[in-house]
Amino acid sequence: LRCQHYPPLRALQASAALSRVSDEHKKEPLTSPSQQQFDSHPDGHQPKQEPQGPRPSYTGQGGQESEDYESEEQLQHRILTAALEFVPEHGWTAEAIAEGAKTLGLSVAAAGLFHSDGSELILHFVSECNTKLSELLEQEQKLVQLGEAEKKPTDEFLRNAVEARLRMLIPYIEKWPQALSILLLPRNIPSSLSLLTSMIDDIWHYAGDQSTDFNWYTRRAVLTGIYNTTELVMLQDSSPDFEDTWRFLENRVADAMTMSNTASQVQSTGEAVVQGLMGAAVTVSN
Amino acid sequence: VYQVFESVAKKYDVMNDSMTLGIHRVWKDILIHKMNPSPGTLLLDVAGGTGDIAFRFINYVRSVRERQLQRKLKHHQNLSWQEIFESYQKDRLNLLGDSQVVVCDINREMLKVGKQKAQHLGYSEGLSWVLGNAEELPFDDDKFDVYTIAFGIRNVTRIDLALQEAYRVLKPGGRFLCLEFSHVSNPVLSRLYDLYSFQVIPVLGEVIAGDWKSYQYLVESIRRFPPQEELKEMIEDAGFFKVDYENLNFGIVAIHSGFKL
Repeated sequence: LRCQHYPPLRALQASAALSRVSDEHKKEPLTSPSQQQFDSHPDGHQPKQEPQGPRPSYTGQGGQESEDYESEEQLQHRILTAALEFVPEHGWTAEAIAEGAKTLGLSVAAAGLFHSDGSELILHFVSECNTKLSELLEQEQKLVQLGEAEKKPTDEFLRNAVEARLRMLIPYIEKWPQALSILLLPRNIPSSLSLLTSMIDDIWHYAGDQSTDFNWYTRRAVLTGIYNTTELVMLQDSSPDFEDTWRFLENRVADAMTMSNTASQVQSTGEAVVQGLMGAAVTVSN
Repeated sequence: VYQVFESVAKKYDVMNDSMTLGIHRVWKDILIHKMNPSPGTLLLDVAGGTGDIAFRFINYVRSVRERQLQRKLKHHQNLSWQEIFESYQKDRLNLLGDSQVVVCDINREMLKVGKQKAQHLGYSEGLSWVLGNAEELPFDDDKFDVYTIAFGIRNVTRIDLALQEAYRVLKPGGRFLCLEFSHVSNPVLSRLYDLYSFQVIPVLGEVIAGDWKSYQYLVESIRRFPPQEELKEMIEDAGFFKVDYENLNFGIVAIHSGFKL
């Protein structure tokens, strides 16, 4: 059946096939007509199943173009997520993406949708990790609000948050250095930097620290420094369950806390010194 | 069109080299690089008579496969000799990693020249030669991973039909790639290009292939061919997504790419 008569109704064949694959957990040949209804289609559109053809048509006409566009992005997301499974074996490469596409029932040529150096895959992974972290922190905050958990002191909170985030790297740790180097490419720096800063901001947001010891920029910079250095230490760590890394993290966070105390001490000492000088000046003038 | 190619079949490669001063090789290399095929890819090369794209594809896939095997070997440090030997045996017989290319052309003479070239250059595995019409391909639906047509689409009478056929035979997720002469927008270059095309190329045609008229036709068909944006729209009309084009040499040649999603 050709759908050429209905150009405005063309649907993403692949996304229909994808949902079929995911719904039934087995690969179905695409030319065989299927009679199933799928209600909770992840893309949010409701294709009507026609008994004679494999191509569903949209029941809704509104926002046709935007639905197609949305599905393309979602499809790309799905491919990248599927590709992550193959990263330990193939690295952050187009090959991993090709294997991911294959598991979704797509041709390996779909890897051509992305850049051949794997940048998008890495950025996708980082953004997914950040989202997971936010969700974790959100849940923790809810528990505290409900009174089911105690609010942690700042240093413990930061330690736990950074550790949780870094633990997400563990399955991919072997190939992570490669990923870092790709993230540092000039082309990728804007995206990778913005992902990093938003993650750090998120952590501070949930830390809810109202102390005026640090100002906002210092806080960001300090935590970014802690995160980056701990990440690098982790890459070289061969201790069981990365315990050396977590100890390093603990020390760095403690340093940061002391630094803040020292800073405020310096500030108050400074004030005291100035007052002393003023007093001395007044005395001398008299 | 058939007769044009019948007469130029044998001299096709030589003429390509002299007309484009050998740059066509670079264009074709760029096409394959853009494709970035992984082992196990099934390629359909339409109007690919003398096999240029097919051979490049095989070379590329072979080198990717070699790298893959090397990486596997590195991981084998901890296996027993027996295991290493067994996996080596299995992989050794699979140097292309199951990749295949089907060369399809409407012209028997072009296919013949292609087959001879393949034999001469030592390409034996993973190649098939099929006689067929781009407007009505003799293949089933959802078969191929990549469809290429290099310098062939301008010779198709009904481009829209060829695009529809391309869409049909590609697997979901499959890619359409088209390498073709296109529109030069830079006015200075355009003048020079016109001069070269209309004055030099037919002369070369006469001198090398003994055929002025065919190459006159060639140059005119290039001028008549729709420019980049228009071709992009035609490809989108056939159902392809993420359609894009890349100009090579300021638009003398363009690579259009689309996905069946």
